[in-house]
This record gives sequence, C-alpha cells and structure tokens, in this order.
Amino acid sequence: MLALVRAHSWDLAVFVHVLGAMTLVGGLVTAAAAGIVGWRDPGGALRRFSALTLFAVALPGWIVMRAGAEWAYSKEGWDKVPDKFQPTWLGIGYFTADIGGIILLIALVLGGIGIRRMRSGGGAGLLRASTAIAAILIVVYAVSVWAMGGKPT
Amino acid sequence: MDFYDWMLALHLLSAFSVAAALVLYSVLVVSGRRSSATLADARLLFRVAPVATPLIAAGSVLVLIFGIILAIDSDRFEIWNGWIIAGIVLWAILGAVGQRTGAYYTGVQELAEREGDASEQEVLARLRAPTGAVLHLATLGVFVLILLDMLFKPGA
Repeated sequence: MLALVRAHSWDLAVFVHVLGAMTLVGGLVTAAAAGIVGWRDPGGALRRFSALTLFAVALPGWIVMRAGAEWAYSKEGWDKVPDKFQPTWLGIGYFTADIGGIILLIALVLGGIGIRRMRSGGGAGLLRASTAIAAILIVVYAVSVWAMGGKPT
Repeated sequence: MDFYDWMLALHLLSAFSVAAALVLYSVLVVSGRRSSATLADARLLFRVAPVATPLIAAGSVLVLIFGIILAIDSDRFEIWNGWIIAGIVLWAILGAVGQRTGAYYTGVQELAEREGDASEQEVLARLRAPTGAVLHLATLGVFVLILLDMLFKPGA
C-alpha cells in the first residue's frame, strides 16, 4: 500500500489523511448499506441509523481526512509549488474532497430534517435522498482513492 | 499511468474495501452494545452486516495479490524486505483474528434469528459481553499496524 519512497517526516501526515479517508468511506458505506437495506421498511429505523452514521462517522472522517490532506500538502512542500505546476492527481484529490464535503453536508442536512420529520410520521423521502447521496459519494471517493494511488498525470 | 501505478491504485482501493467493512462492523458493534438496544434492534443490525462480507473477503485477498505484484514489479523494493514480510505476517494475523470475530458474531446472529423472544436476554448479553468487542478491537488494531507498516516502511 502506498508503496512510494517518501521522507519519514511526511508519513504521519499521510497516515492521518489515510485514516480519516478510510473512516469517511467506511461511514458512507455503512450509511448507504443501512439506508438501502431499510429502504422499504415501514418503521424507518435503518433510515434513521443511516443518517446518524453519516453524522457520527462520515463527518468526523471527512474532517480528519481534509486536515490530514492539508498537513501532508504543506509537509510535502506542494504549497510552495505554483498551481500550474501541480500534478493532476493532486487537483483530483482536492476537487473530490471539497465537492464531496459540500455534497456530504447536503446529505447531513437532508438526514437531519428527515429524522426530525420522522417524529410526526414523515421524513422517509428525505432520509432516502440522504442515503442515495451517500451511495453517490462512495463512487466520488473511490475515484479519489484511485487518483491518490495511481497518481495520473 | 503505467502498470505499477494501476497496481498501486487497485491495491489502495482493495485496502479501502477492507477498511470500509471494518468501519461498518465497528458501527454495528458499538450500536449493539448500547444499553437501550433490544432484540429487534439486534435483528436490524444483523440485516446490515452481510454488506461487509464481500467487501472484506474480496478486499483482503486482492490487497495481498496486488501488494505482491507491486513488490515483484518494483525496482525499489523486494518481497523479502522486512516491512513487506511484516505486512504479510500481519495480514495473516488479521485474517485469523477477523475469522474468530466473525464466528462469534455469527453465533449471536443465529441466536437472534431464532423464533420467539426467549433468547432476547442471551442475545443482548452476548452483544454487550466484552468478548466480541475485544476481538473486534484486536482486528482493528492489527489493521492499523498494517497501515503504519505500509506507510512508514520501517527499514526501507
């Protein structure tokens, strides 16, 4: 994994970044799985579980991943390289992380409102939308992982 | 992207597949240990768990295959390097501990799926017992050790 030679001073930052990214992807997979398994359930317990997982696992994972990315970016000296000379894979990583963060925020808001409306018997549609977004985000971050690993130019 | 880059990308995606399954199991283990959990909650959680099975099964085999291909193809590393051997040994330990964890929770699932609520106390007691959680924590610990080994490459 990550079989690249790099100065050991960067390793901790990359470790934090990867650990956060794994937690984020795991949180998204768990949320999507619970939401899809419970898609047609009348009670909605799994849809609620899905939205809560996004909040309790995917969101902290995204924060750690993004903080680790910024730390690794500065440790590896990319902040001193002009934008036009920065590699494509770095751009893909930043784009998917930030766009993914905004989409995750939308899923969290939809999930939050959905849980609130569940108390009065509604909210199923919003919770399903939150699940669908989580499933889309898995694809977005799979592309990101591919770009971080393969480093396309 | 050349052959090595593709193998590295697939190696990383396989590792993420294993990680995703471990996070899913972690969420289920924590949820199942809640004091407010009921037999119905446990049954719901066990409906989600099978999603992780193909992720961890395929991911753990593919991560090793792509890792070995990378070690053979690389000009900088050899398969007998200490950190690569350590990674393979830790991978085997992860498999062994993971299997024990899986066997424990499969037993609880079978109990939870039996007809009637007579087994409720037993199911909840087993979910809250430290055995499963300790086994799962050990699995997570070994996975983090593999991650540290792969990133820090001690001795490389």
